[in-house]
Amino acid sequence: MERSLKCYLKYGAIISPLGDRIEEHYSAFLENKSGIKKEGKIGFNSENFFLARIDNLANSRYNTLLNQACEKLIQNYSSSFLQNPKTGVIVSTTKANLAAITSDTFESTRRIIDEIIHPFHEPIIISNACISGVLAVNTAADYIRLNKFDQVIIIGIDVLSDFIIYGFQSLFALSNEACRPFDKERNGISLGEACGILVMMNTPDDDCIVEVLGGASSNDANHISGPSRTGEGLFRAIHKSLERSGILKEEIDFISAHGTATTYNDEMEAIAFNRLGLNHIPTNSFKGYFGHTLGAAGIIEIIMCMVSMEKNILFKSIGYTEIGTSERLNVISENQKVEVTTVLKTASGFGGGNAAVLLKCIQ
Amino acid sequence: MKIIGHCYINPRGAFFNGQNVLIATEENYLKNYFSELKIDYSKFYKMDLLSKGAFLGDYLLRNSYKDLLHVENELQFIFANTSSSKETDIRFIESYERKKNPSPSLFVYTLPNILTGELAIKHKWFGENIFYILTKFDSEFFNDQIVMSFLRGNEYCLCGWVEMTGSPEDECFMFLVAKSEVVNENFSNNLNEILNTYRNE
Repeated sequence: MERSLKCYLKYGAIISPLGDRIEEHYSAFLENKSGIKKEGKIGFNSENFFLARIDNLANSRYNTLLNQACEKLIQNYSSSFLQNPKTGVIVSTTKANLAAITSDTFESTRRIIDEIIHPFHEPIIISNACISGVLAVNTAADYIRLNKFDQVIIIGIDVLSDFIIYGFQSLFALSNEACRPFDKERNGISLGEACGILVMMNTPDDDCIVEVLGGASSNDANHISGPSRTGEGLFRAIHKSLERSGILKEEIDFISAHGTATTYNDEMEAIAFNRLGLNHIPTNSFKGYFGHTLGAAGIIEIIMCMVSMEKNILFKSIGYTEIGTSERLNVISENQKVEVTTVLKTASGFGGGNAAVLLKCIQ
Repeated sequence: MKIIGHCYINPRGAFFNGQNVLIATEENYLKNYFSELKIDYSKFYKMDLLSKGAFLGDYLLRNSYKDLLHVENELQFIFANTSSSKETDIRFIESYERKKNPSPSLFVYTLPNILTGELAIKHKWFGENIFYILTKFDSEFFNDQIVMSFLRGNEYCLCGWVEMTGSPEDECFMFLVAKSEVVNENFSNNLNEILNTYRNE
């Protein structure tokens, strides 16, 4: 890999239950406002659950959300940038437009991006469960380091559906209150929906906030739907990311963990962080704000890491009051004004996948 | 980049390094091949189509694996298809719409990358893994992904095109690539030739 080719990230767009602008998200996070609400009769047997649902999405929720996010993106980027032959597009999604299951669930993704962004290249779609977003950023960085692209538009998106709700319900993975990552009382996931867009550049401009130092993925080789008891995959993904970034773990100021708030996931993360000697580092999960947004999670959570670095603030991990993992973690319990320079973002998911990326503030 | 083994499975037969290994004699061809190969791995029966295809492909490649037994961290999975986990998705929808009982054992297979988890578990490989959705098999795309993987420090890539939806056109094409000093400029063409030969068998 040509180490001389560096990669930088700036904001593209974000749409979540908390708003459709970065500034709106910053304000909501300052007030520790959550997008998760109680929704009546949405379970398979009409149970109530807590979801982070976006209001005003038309019947075709996925297509509408993707359309809106792409429209937001093109307000801030010129057509010569978007259509440049050296601009790539990478999409992270687990289920895409599930409504089109009898034909092609990914067709509308390509069509909507083509109609609004008109990219030179067909989008590269990654569907690798909940680590898709972090993998998308690491893949974009590879394309830049290989000099295939000079800039990459990275889109993360997934929407709520009966399919997803009934599926997680059937696994007994849904919380009966707003999710509480790492807390003693946590009892599952709150699902959410969102679309986030990042723009990666090989040359930083004034809008670039972070440099992507390096990242990696690793499989648990343990179970297809249960996290490893030893945190092996996450341990290796973080270890490799540090090696590839050429930085020391002591340099990390903040960890944006996956933190789904299931008993086993959060426990697994605590074990992995402890094995790496990272458990004193301020850590949060953004799931208390957005819920678990699957393919969008990695992207919108990296966007919020960038807000943390730009504004020098660590955001409270909503839902957390008392540690509920066997290994202690430094979970952020109140917003803190502090300089945030180097951030570790992690993700773990079904299929035993784990991914990590290290980001460094350049502003 | 050196292809050290390749295989192909479709509803008519199974092939390893260009040689026909099995011919289907039953409609349930994956179960048919599994029985014929006399593999002892009971987890096979609970797998979805994609994982079964990849599992059998991986088994056919076993003679290419001889030198890889020490590898646990430096082998990457790079898989892709067009239809994701469509067949299982439809069956999961049926489980709640028609049978009124959402099936957790189907739901866990409604993600295409689960097959990489199955292979990782079988071999105790902790390496990197990624699953892409492409409109069709694209040898240049795989070429780029493998180049990037080796530049990141990996030494082997187990790659697969696993497009299986329960149709007569289903196919599982897998190939194992080792890092080598020799630059193979014809890699994409070689890959296309291999796949086209299989498709025309």
